[in-house]
Amino acid sequence: MVVLRDIVITGLLLGGILALVSVGFSLQYGVARVLNVSHGEFIMLGAFITFWLFTSVDLNPLVSLVVTAPLIFVIGWFLHATLFRRLMNTAPALGVFEGWSMLASFGLLYVVQNLARIIWGSQTHQVIFLNRAVTGAQIPLNRLVALGVCVVVGVVFYLFLTRTRLGKAIRASAQDPTVAGMMGVNINSVLAICFGLGLAMAGIAGSLISTVYAIQTSMGLQYTVIAMIVVILGGLGSITGAMIGGVVLGIVSQLVTHFQPTMTFIAYYVIIIILLLARPKGIMGK
Amino acid sequence: MLRVDGLSTGYGHVQVLWDLSLNVEEGEFVALIGANSAGKTTLLKTISGVMRPWSGTVTFQGKRIDTMHPNEIVDLGLSHIPESRKLFTDMSVKENLEMGAYPRRTWKDRANTMRWVFELFPRLEERKNQLARTLSGGEQQMLAMGRGLMSRPKMVLIDEPSNGLAPIVVAEVFQILKSLHAEGITILLVEQNVRQTLQVADRAYVIENGRLVLQGACSFLQANEHVKKAYLAL
Ligand SMILES: Nc1ncnc2c1ncn2[C@@H]1O[C@H](COP(=O)(O)OP(=O)(O)OP(=O)(O)O)[C@@H](O)[C@H]1O
Ligand SMILES: [Mg+2]
Repeated sequence: MVVLRDIVITGLLLGGILALVSVGFSLQYGVARVLNVSHGEFIMLGAFITFWLFTSVDLNPLVSLVVTAPLIFVIGWFLHATLFRRLMNTAPALGVFEGWSMLASFGLLYVVQNLARIIWGSQTHQVIFLNRAVTGAQIPLNRLVALGVCVVVGVVFYLFLTRTRLGKAIRASAQDPTVAGMMGVNINSVLAICFGLGLAMAGIAGSLISTVYAIQTSMGLQYTVIAMIVVILGGLGSITGAMIGGVVLGIVSQLVTHFQPTMTFIAYYVIIIILLLARPKGIMGK
Repeated sequence: MLRVDGLSTGYGHVQVLWDLSLNVEEGEFVALIGANSAGKTTLLKTISGVMRPWSGTVTFQGKRIDTMHPNEIVDLGLSHIPESRKLFTDMSVKENLEMGAYPRRTWKDRANTMRWVFELFPRLEERKNQLARTLSGGEQQMLAMGRGLMSRPKMVLIDEPSNGLAPIVVAEVFQILKSLHAEGITILLVEQNVRQTLQVADRAYVIENGRLVLQGACSFLQANEHVKKAYLAL
């Protein structure tokens, strides 16, 4: 029972982080139509900025979220407002833009990863934070805190999407950008904000990951691959689907890892094959 | 109020509109009729900024709008209610209406505007928490019109509101158009339902293959031999 409880809690934590990563990825693809292959690099960036602030000025990793999230948001906003908007305006069709933007994000992957390697090298680092077990349980406190942050970010983001003017504009733009524009939405601005928000979520996930797992400058790509799996699992472009898919994958991954660690990635693909046979458009797909 | 001058445009390399000019005065109810693929929707999209003209100009209340973005144009008080509703189907009726009030100018006062829209379309109020995609065809058209009115427009462009609706609902739609006109809203209406359109509008333009072929008061067009043959099946 205790083993099961630990698997569930660690699974929920991993699931929360994967959900954050995937919702960010889905926001960029579903609204801004950028299949952002460099998504994971911004997870790495979030993790390393947190690590750097922690080791240089001894900043609490939770406090550093206040730095990483806005900083990476601005980077994302700027990338969209310059690079991706230009591609969008020159592409003759949406399909062509999707191809171009994916290639551009491949380039971004190499640029960000290699810059990070120049600064932080390629060895493994770790942020030692709240690394003590909570009384009566074997769950380290840092994991519970990270899980808590995931839940808070998820709830805040949900309220943002459903209750605010900008959040509604994002949902409307995801469904039909042209009509959203006719209603008065400045579509260029909304797309840049979505791209920035998506990256900021990656950054937050990265900060949390750094408090729980070891980090390396090459850690990004595996998360991008997982995000793609989750997004297909959840239904392309569906934010709720990405959230559910992330949590499901996190728990399954912990279960498999517990019994047979080498099988984790194989389990991902087995899940995806089964799901796509049963529901070809994903959990929330239409 | 609205003036289109020598407008040409198209998709890719295919030209659809050829040197089109028209104007609508403040308070007028003007109709635009033409067969399928004549270019009516293309014209409305070019006026509302969704498409760019290749040449020619569009002026609204003395201001050039042909280089503006759609969000800037709706903010000036020119609202485009698109063909085939184009609702945000995964949002509720209420949220669709709120999106219509998106410009800063109208966002704050959206609750009051919504009350006005609910008076025009009482059925929307009964269904305000339902998802837009669960509405009937007629209700969806009402919602599309209500949403387009939420920005408190001085003028509306309406594209085939009666398309696909039962005759009794079509009559209702035309009734609403009349009452909007009575409230002082200037209207440019695209319709295939030519008989009823010529009864409610003041003037009409006829376009064929992207070119203007006829224009005049509705009474004049109702008597015109070409219109009778081609559009009224007389
Ligand atoms: N997105 C598009 N891409 C390419 N061609 C288009 C596009 N939309 C319309 N066309 C073409 O432009 C021409 C005019 O179309 P438009 O939709 O303006 O006609 P319409 O008068 O509104 O017709 P309908 O009464 O059927 O709505 C048609 O030949 C159509 O095939
Ligand atoms: Mg049309």
